[in-house]
Amino acid sequence: MNATPEAIAQLIQSALLSPRVWFFAVMLVASSAVLLLAVWFERKAAARVQMRVGPYHASPRLGGLLQLVADALKFIISEPIVHRGAFRILFTWGPPIFITLAFGASLLLPLTPDLRLIRDPGLLPYGLVFSLALLLLVSISVVIIGWSANNRFAYIGAAREALLVAAYEVPLLLSFLAMVILYGTLNPLEIVAKQYALVGAVMNPLAFLAFMTAVAMATARFPFEIADYEGDVATGPYSDYGGVFLVLSFAGGTYYAAFSYSFLASLLFLGGWSLPGFSAGPWPQDMLGHLMLSAWVFVKVAALMFFLVFLRAVMPVLRLDHALALGWRGLLVMSVLSLAWSVALRLAGAAP
Amino acid sequence: MVRVESYGLVLREEGSGERRVLEIFWGPQHPSSGHTRFIVEVEGDIVVNVTPDPGYVHRTMEKLGETRHWIQNIPLFERISLPDAINVTWAYVMAIEKLLGLDVPKRAQYLRVIMAELSRISTHLYDLGIHSIMIGSSTGYMWAFGLRELLVHLWAMVTGSRTTPTWILPGGARTAPPDAFYTKTKEYLNYLEKKIDEFVTVVIKNPVGYYRLRDVGYLSREDAARYMATGPGARGSGIDWDARRDYKYGAYGEFEWSVCVEDGGDSLARTLVRICEIKQSARIIRQALEKVPRDGPLVGDALLGKMPPKLREMASRRVKLTALFLMRLPPAEAVGVTEGGRGRFLFHVLGDGTERPHRVRITTPSWQNLRAMIKAFIGSRLMDLPAIYGSFGYFPPEQDR
Amino acid sequence: MRAKMSARSIIKFTVDAFKVVIRNFIKPERITIYYPYERLEYGAVRGWIGLHVEKCTSCMMCARVCPANAIKMYLAPDGKRRPGIDYGRCIMCHFCIDTCPADALYSTEIKDLAFYSYDSMVFTPDREKEPPRVEELRKPVEVIVDYVRGTPRKLKVARS
Repeated sequence: MNATPEAIAQLIQSALLSPRVWFFAVMLVASSAVLLLAVWFERKAAARVQMRVGPYHASPRLGGLLQLVADALKFIISEPIVHRGAFRILFTWGPPIFITLAFGASLLLPLTPDLRLIRDPGLLPYGLVFSLALLLLVSISVVIIGWSANNRFAYIGAAREALLVAAYEVPLLLSFLAMVILYGTLNPLEIVAKQYALVGAVMNPLAFLAFMTAVAMATARFPFEIADYEGDVATGPYSDYGGVFLVLSFAGGTYYAAFSYSFLASLLFLGGWSLPGFSAGPWPQDMLGHLMLSAWVFVKVAALMFFLVFLRAVMPVLRLDHALALGWRGLLVMSVLSLAWSVALRLAGAAP
Repeated sequence: MVRVESYGLVLREEGSGERRVLEIFWGPQHPSSGHTRFIVEVEGDIVVNVTPDPGYVHRTMEKLGETRHWIQNIPLFERISLPDAINVTWAYVMAIEKLLGLDVPKRAQYLRVIMAELSRISTHLYDLGIHSIMIGSSTGYMWAFGLRELLVHLWAMVTGSRTTPTWILPGGARTAPPDAFYTKTKEYLNYLEKKIDEFVTVVIKNPVGYYRLRDVGYLSREDAARYMATGPGARGSGIDWDARRDYKYGAYGEFEWSVCVEDGGDSLARTLVRICEIKQSARIIRQALEKVPRDGPLVGDALLGKMPPKLREMASRRVKLTALFLMRLPPAEAVGVTEGGRGRFLFHVLGDGTERPHRVRITTPSWQNLRAMIKAFIGSRLMDLPAIYGSFGYFPPEQDR
Repeated sequence: MRAKMSARSIIKFTVDAFKVVIRNFIKPERITIYYPYERLEYGAVRGWIGLHVEKCTSCMMCARVCPANAIKMYLAPDGKRRPGIDYGRCIMCHFCIDTCPADALYSTEIKDLAFYSYDSMVFTPDREKEPPRVEELRKPVEVIVDYVRGTPRKLKVARS
């Protein structure tokens, strides 16, 4: 192989125009932006409801938008403490595993028809299933964190997380299955294409409701903030974390998990990038069109995340046994009904 | 007793292995325990035993009360429970009044009722707020404290201080409220009632909050009586007792109001008693605002007679303490009882002819409610602990004195 | 509302809670005071305590009534003793002002007291004579909280 200047230039050009590189860059930047906005909205919306102002002094012109950046900086430069008695390996590796699983799941999904990490279209269905599997593994890392801390509050929190997983996992999978049956395919490109006229949330609202409730449970949003319920177990599994550990697990990781779930839900239920009357051309030529479509996806993701964080202002925390009962009775029944509805639609030939 | 130690937890095994208990040290450094510690033993998710470990904020109030001039005790005792400052000091001042034989004029009586009911509302808002954040509703917390912020503005208008009024004096009150206070209080009460309804919708009627409170921490009527629960802790269990009605101290006999009693005995009942009492307090304040004379001395004739003429004229606006400071407690004893927001305050003062009390015996509602609360804890689930704790309005500084 | 909720009332009360919260979200009722830029005007508050030296009769009543033992009597060159206040101990109950038979002590509206050192918290009679110089980087806007059509609003006051 001879490295002529032309060959190097061509290599650089192909790298610059590679959909994978662009996908990765767009996902990193946009997910940070969506997270920043979602956390800002969580604080400001709750403050607005609660007769106060919320973050302000970090950036008065922007309404305190940069408060999260200031918080993250503070956490990152503070000393990460590993206390005596903790299981050192898992205690330090728990948060990186947590955030890798939480964010990695969204990298397996396509952002637009061409912007994706998995190039082979035949592998895309596996990407969809695999991202859901990764997201369900996040709770395992919570249990790992809680166990390794050697703290009773953390231990109880981990046990609660394990109980909750059992309650929300089945409805989550069943509502996912209901949508897959409805579309008759696992390929995300086809799934989005089939929602051209009617989005999935309208075709099967029960599945959407069950999925979002299960997501609220999985990402510890209110009223399911049970594993890290402040009232009796301090911050649960994350009680002993500080500094960068806290950013990677409790303060940042759960939001990344919420982001990945919302991304998955926006593809499955809200029609992903399908924008009536607009479609992007092939990748390198119509770059602007693809970026517009990915912005449209992120608008949907942000809307779902804003709803999830707005629950903080409305709800107290549900008790553990009531949450389990809700999972095992309410959500399970709801997701089975949604499954039946999908099957009925498919048998009646009304499915897209 | 065998200690089984495995990774991540320390279990205690009782008997021959049939009961495995996990001990949790809940407090004093905990987001919701307050300045006290409970050693909670849980079996699975069920609380089987709770051992209270109070005393983290013990400030030797009773002993300090013996070492200083009785008038210096007023700012001291108000720090037993700052949210309920007026009712605490009123109980002490009532005992002193009996010892010194001071009378209270009508104007001061009504003003005291207004301030004491504001103090009760303040305590209830404080407790409801803390209770909301304990069951996870930050909105309820912020609303209650936002409302209390408006209330302390009223206190600042009357007394010149937001949270430490030091306002009730033996024989009357210390300062007269400005005219703006009367209209502003009425507007505040209107807003309070509107906002409390919203609070009920968001926190208590909200199914999530409702199921956190209902059938939780049950305290039967007999148990409440046996463990001498007081305040909302007793009235939530169906015990119809209220010092304001039963002793008719101050001017409480002249108003139309009712004692709030609920039969449920659970956290929800105690919370509903609080909500109801806020509304009744607003009712009393409205009547008192109509009846209170806008002019006249703030202290009774017994004290006015000991003042020089210049200060006597001034006594309709503010009261100088010189005459009170020169009084000595006779060798006698007296008791003052008031109904505070969390229950009965009792001050038993023994004089010995000097300006210092020989003994001041204090009973505070949180201390009285402690045993009833422990009774309500046992058998509940671990997540119910904060829901029960908040429903009693348990306040460690008040308990430890 | 003691009974177990039916499915219908669960949905109704959930929707009610959302309604109230969204109404508050659209029309916030906040009264936050941006402290260094704004300051709440309370009216006559119990603030920093000043001393008219010429009125003081050295009766020491203030020092005796002080519940926090914050007042110490300092010997002046003319042989009289005058009160000085340790603001590290003072609880602003103003018992000293109300006990003074000669009205020598008076209250000011200075209520934000912050000091650089412990020593500067102890005010001798010489420093007690006139109010401390208030160092303000910017002049805060004086505001009050008043009720406009039933809801509390933060209003600016014109300061003369």
